[in-house]
Amino acid sequence: MSDDGPRLLERAKAGDGQALEELLTPVLEVAFRLAMTMLNDREAAEDAVQDAAFKAWRKLDRVRPDAPLRPWFLAIVANECRSARRGRWWKVLRFPEVRSTGTMVNLEERIDLATALERLAPKHLLPLSLYYHLDLPIEEVARVLDCSEGAARVRIHRALAALRPAMAIEVDG
Amino acid sequence: MIPDDPELRRALDARSGEPSPEFRGGLHQALARGRPAANWIPAIAVATVIVLTVASVGVLLAARNLAHPPHGGLVSGARTASPTTSPTESPVVLPSQAYLSAPSRDIVWAFVDYRLLFRSQDSGQTWERRQLPLGVDTGRLVFTFADADNGWALLAISPATQCQAEGAQIWHTADGANTWRLITSVAAERAGGNGIRAEQCKEFISFVDKARGFVTAWDDNSPPTIYRTIDGGATWKSSRLPDPPGFQTATGGFTLRAQDVYRLGNVLLVTAYGMQESGGKGYVFKSIDGGAGWTYTATIPSPAIAVAFVTESRWLQVILPGQSVETTDAGRSWHAYASDYGQAAPVSPQVVFGDASVGYATVRGSIQRTEDGGLHWKYIKTPGT
Repeated sequence: MSDDGPRLLERAKAGDGQALEELLTPVLEVAFRLAMTMLNDREAAEDAVQDAAFKAWRKLDRVRPDAPLRPWFLAIVANECRSARRGRWWKVLRFPEVRSTGTMVNLEERIDLATALERLAPKHLLPLSLYYHLDLPIEEVARVLDCSEGAARVRIHRALAALRPAMAIEVDG
Repeated sequence: MIPDDPELRRALDARSGEPSPEFRGGLHQALARGRPAANWIPAIAVATVIVLTVASVGVLLAARNLAHPPHGGLVSGARTASPTTSPTESPVVLPSQAYLSAPSRDIVWAFVDYRLLFRSQDSGQTWERRQLPLGVDTGRLVFTFADADNGWALLAISPATQCQAEGAQIWHTADGANTWRLITSVAAERAGGNGIRAEQCKEFISFVDKARGFVTAWDDNSPPTIYRTIDGGATWKSSRLPDPPGFQTATGGFTLRAQDVYRLGNVLLVTAYGMQESGGKGYVFKSIDGGAGWTYTATIPSPAIAVAFVTESRWLQVILPGQSVETTDAGRSWHAYASDYGQAAPVSPQVVFGDASVGYATVRGSIQRTEDGGLHWKYIKTPGT
């Protein structure tokens, strides 16, 4: 949080929308990128970030002035993305976008990393997005995941392991 | 040491994107409208759970020698007090979500923004806010209603990897969602739930009358399960959907996921969607024995679009003007249908019919109503917005 952060935080807690916007502006882009990698859909990502912003506003009283805002907000965005992926129509509507390669699927396409990512469970996709896409340091990854740094490393390793077998299944299948 | 993975970085970059100026502008306007009121429901829920737990222990100890417990896993009679609706709660900011349940032509329920429940008894002209079950802010919540008073909520909690298991609670209201009673609870890590197993993620709940209901469940490695009850949710039995022609269930996500179950005439219908190597597939299954057995009955022409069952034989896929299709022979043939339904969001609407004429379609919070079986649609106000 910048020098103005605590003052903005107090104003936002008091209901000042402009102050909240100023607080979120530095983290908005990274939050949106996280939502995009989690959802792979622009409109769904916009919904998730907007809903996260309002949920963050409601929970702002829990934020300490000296606490970093980014991991806290990213954790809320990640929760919104998980909810969106469990939503009623998500799996129905995303099918054609996931696999639009037609009936002749060759080996290269079957081991497509993008397809493997699409199938990856949110619990694995999140640590990979935080570490490899957003380039967050491991301590911040741990904060978003609400675990220790060691546990965050384990989760990244497990996610990598989950990603590769998913591709292997495709090759074998 | 975490290995670097340039290929993974590139793949993740390809999924990503920048927020558009339109999105930033929309968020700016939404924030300028003011902060939504504090959501006290979780706090009230925690307090209520504590009180109920303490009270339940006392009641159970007192009742221990007086009566046998009800069916295994059934949670006995914990009726929740409903929180008072805050008069200062801010409107839901659109776009958001609204899911519908239409038990009849006049009665329609809307669950808006995953947090607000409304009932209309005049085909969506006016709405009244109703209460959610308490303590349900930690999972995925879906509803079904049999009439203006009787409804069930399915809360799915803590799915395991590949949806191999998931906990669930089923709540019932008999007073129009003024109060709710927990009737079934399934822990993800153990068996129970009056016949509903921990295995698989619980997806939808649908009741076709006050006694008969269904819960669908799926995972990434096996066929979907449809649980059925004939006693209002007290006990459940299960059956599985068979692989339809052209679909082979396989591990790694090549499985079907069943949606809501509908009763039309003397048959039950359910759609199921799944992935194959050739892409997404959608099917309709039928049961003529109350859900004990299911048979494939039709293939859905556009598997990305939900099917609306209007009658036993007349079904619609409402898409956009010039794209909607209809079948009048239970899916044996489909033809173009000149519906004027249209909306801006590039996603499929949820479409439900209360009878053969009155239906509702919603996508991203905007609700439309038809009174002529799906031909013409008019916007109605989304409650809570």
